[in-house]
Amino acid sequence: MENVVELKNVTKKFNGFSVNNIDFKVKKGFVTGFIGANGAGKSTTIKMMMNLLKPDEGEVNLFGLDYKTHEKEIKERIGFVYDGNVFFEGLNLKDIKRIVAPAYKQWDDQLFNHYIEKFDLPLNKAMKKFSKGMQMKASLAIALSHHAELIIMDEPTAGLDPIFRRELLDLLRELMIDGSRTIFFSTHITTDLDRIADYIAFMQEGELVFNQSTEEVAENYAIVKGDLELLDSDTEKSFVNIRRASTGFEALTDNSKKVNDIFGDSVLIERATLEDIMYYLNGGINHV
Amino acid sequence: MFNLIRRDVILQKRMLLLLIPFILFFVLMGSHPALIVLAVSIYIPFNAFYYDEKAETNILLNSLPYTRKEIIASRYLGAIVYMLLAVGLTCLFLLAFNKSFSLTEIAIGSGLFLLFAALTFPIFYIFKPGHLTTIVIIIFLAFAIVGQLAIRSIDELLPAVTDFMQNTSNTVLYTGGAAIIITAYLLSWVASTAIYLRKDF
Repeated sequence: MENVVELKNVTKKFNGFSVNNIDFKVKKGFVTGFIGANGAGKSTTIKMMMNLLKPDEGEVNLFGLDYKTHEKEIKERIGFVYDGNVFFEGLNLKDIKRIVAPAYKQWDDQLFNHYIEKFDLPLNKAMKKFSKGMQMKASLAIALSHHAELIIMDEPTAGLDPIFRRELLDLLRELMIDGSRTIFFSTHITTDLDRIADYIAFMQEGELVFNQSTEEVAENYAIVKGDLELLDSDTEKSFVNIRRASTGFEALTDNSKKVNDIFGDSVLIERATLEDIMYYLNGGINHV
Repeated sequence: MFNLIRRDVILQKRMLLLLIPFILFFVLMGSHPALIVLAVSIYIPFNAFYYDEKAETNILLNSLPYTRKEIIASRYLGAIVYMLLAVGLTCLFLLAFNKSFSLTEIAIGSGLFLLFAALTFPIFYIFKPGHLTTIVIIIFLAFAIVGQLAIRSIDELLPAVTDFMQNTSNTVLYTGGAAIIITAYLLSWVASTAIYLRKDF
């Protein structure tokens, strides 16, 4: 399977924060959701994909090309949406289009107008007077109007109301119908991903914990509930993190098959949601 | 590249309209033509830094298919383009109001602008976004101090300068001056590019 993004052993250090040895691939033609708590390093990783930050070590390749020699070719093929508004806030959409459109060889005015109509966006109103949802729609319209093969979005659903979040996810699904496109987006609202993601990459404290298909995540991770006496130093090894209460334990495993083999019917095995996984993995770090 | 230069016109539409009364004011005040050219040339490129120093602008420009070298090049080439525009407008207004001026005066004004740009542009790229006020204060203080020193020592300097001027032919003086300014401008361009290439956004 072809990879659109490849990070090899990427490390970036800041004062008091670092992203370490990130090794991961974004597969072509799929939606990859990028999750992790605030400050886990998601934005840093995305910025390295956009060449806004240069890694201290390691390699970043997009479409099999590196930024040193192919910066323009790479960026021609990316549509980007960031958390905040990056467009000149005093300008209206018409003027912003005048600045952005000529940067792309493949800019499509018709497509842009199509999205402007679809999103019901005013062309003559200054960006700073847009609501958060409208700003997001405007960024999206711009990101989608040059036939980008890869759409990178940093927290596109943050601060949006549930109705618009759902509209956005529907739109993204629509975009994926033509199978050549790839979408990579970060979020901390994990329920967004249940609806749309094919792959989930999970980051925590600057490290990539996993990057698996949603089926693999559902297969491997599970919440296990049972009596405390079932736990000993041996059986505990099959869990990522355990919460004990007087009534019994509740734990997360990343190998539900093994747990099933060991405990059989003596425990209750439930599907772990992404939120469960994030919660337990976070707790795990604190306990160590 | 051309698009990057053109963006200043789109961004500064309203400011550009103010440019006309701005020139008019200087012309009617009877300011020295070299000073008018200098002030008017500074107008657009330095207004542009108001946008350029914002983190969002840098994230936007660097996410678009431009290289960092092009972004800096557009600033340096753009400054020349807008300077020529300023020179044109100034000459036009001077002619319209029957004020006398010479090509030498215009050349001195342009030269001073290029020198000023060469000295100040890299400062804008050294600082992290959001420090525009600090930068402006630093530039202002630097020039105030240099100006003070120059005025204080003008009595000692003046004879030496006039001596030098008299003993050097005009051609040598002008080509020498032009060479110094062009070198300074190019060095400044190289320095800004080197700084910008290392930045994180």
